[in-house]
Amino acid sequence: MLPRLLPVLILAACLLAGWEAWCRIAEVSPLILPPPSGVVRALIAERAALGSHALATMGVAALGFSLSVAFAFATSVALHFAPWAARGLMPLFVASQTVPLVALAPLMILWFGFGLLPKVLLVVLVTFFPMLLSLMSGYRQTPPAFRDLLASMGAGRWTVFRRASLPSARASFLAGLRISATYAIVATIFAEYAGARRGIGIYILAAKNNFRADLVLAAVFVSATLTLALLGAIRLADRMTTRGPGHA
Amino acid sequence: MLEIRSLTIRDGHREILRDLSLRLPESGVTALIGPSGCGKTSVLKWLAGILPLEAQGTVTLDGAPISTPHPALSYQPQSDALFPWLTVAENAALGLRVAGLSARAARARVAPLFAPFGLAGTEDMFPAQLSGGMRQRAAFLRTIVQDSRFVLLDEPFSALDAVTRLAMQDWLAARLSERPRGVLLVTHDLHEATGLADRILVMAANPGRIIAEIPVPLARESRSETALAPLREHLKSLLMEKAR
Repeated sequence: MLPRLLPVLILAACLLAGWEAWCRIAEVSPLILPPPSGVVRALIAERAALGSHALATMGVAALGFSLSVAFAFATSVALHFAPWAARGLMPLFVASQTVPLVALAPLMILWFGFGLLPKVLLVVLVTFFPMLLSLMSGYRQTPPAFRDLLASMGAGRWTVFRRASLPSARASFLAGLRISATYAIVATIFAEYAGARRGIGIYILAAKNNFRADLVLAAVFVSATLTLALLGAIRLADRMTTRGPGHA
Repeated sequence: MLEIRSLTIRDGHREILRDLSLRLPESGVTALIGPSGCGKTSVLKWLAGILPLEAQGTVTLDGAPISTPHPALSYQPQSDALFPWLTVAENAALGLRVAGLSARAARARVAPLFAPFGLAGTEDMFPAQLSGGMRQRAAFLRTIVQDSRFVLLDEPFSALDAVTRLAMQDWLAARLSERPRGVLLVTHDLHEATGLADRILVMAANPGRIIAEIPVPLARESRSETALAPLREHLKSLLMEKAR
């Protein structure tokens, strides 16, 4: 584990050292760019507030992400068995992805208020499509020999799907899950930025309004940690559910 | 007796197979050989009920028409088609599970066959952990355990190296002699056809049709290279003549 992480740790340490040195040598105002040591101090000083906002953000992201996974899975199965519906709906799903998040987030708040619903909806909207695409592409990657074999055994469409298509889509699904996980945290922060009572997004907004670049960067660090935690959970689930060395 | 009558297969306007009829006895191996594109695999896929092309013809079992896929026929595709996410035992039991047996009952049916198939100790391994020959044996186990009266084999050894292929041919002959079934074997390999089959059907292409039916009169134990050489020469000249 450590030898694999060593290059990234060395690179990160070099970047942080360079950033720290530049802030000190060039005497950059901490209002513009605080040094990493300043960000760490802010993190320690604000750990209680940051922790509580991070929990709120993680709760929304996890809820929205889970709903999105369930919705994407159900939709992918429906579209797999009704390709005519896929032909009709896919352009609409694609169009939904072209709406900019900065326009959508305030509209969601306007329509659904400052509660949980608009934030969860935004996360679902942003993370749903990559997962749907990855699932549908995964089903199509089922080796024809697997389908033929099952069909020759008398298996119906559902059995072929359950025994061959679904397991074949695992690698593709996990790739979509990872992409969507990163979007989930960003979308939650965007929604909170547009209007919320708690969360990293509203914390960043308040810190920015107070010209506290150190707190903004501390919040960015927390948001990156949340994303890594979500990716770590997916990796763990991946490892726990892998069956066999040839199963991606 | 399994009988195909007047099978014609089309891919759009192209006729792949024209008016093919053949009988498959209850025991013994019938090899189907011919050049690429003559429709050998299409015949097998049609019998297995998985041919995605337009086909006309009838198949009867003991004189009664049947629709395919049918439990009396089991099919083994060209690749071993072992599911990488299933253990060897789960792969072997796949046909039984699809037929509606519980996991426990299916496992109980396949378990005694692992030793005779040379797979003892691999039950809980995954296909990626097996050698090419072992994978092929596991695929055969999956086909054989379905206990169908007829077995359709589509170039089952084509992915194996020459040495493993020869060993697997002997092994298959031994397995088939233990429990005779009607086998339809599609192959490109004249050595395989003459070594395993009791009867060889030679096909020509454009459109696919049977041009010769050649019995292999030698008992398996007396099928030496020298004894089979004239038969192979005859088959080769038949195939070359039609290819010209």
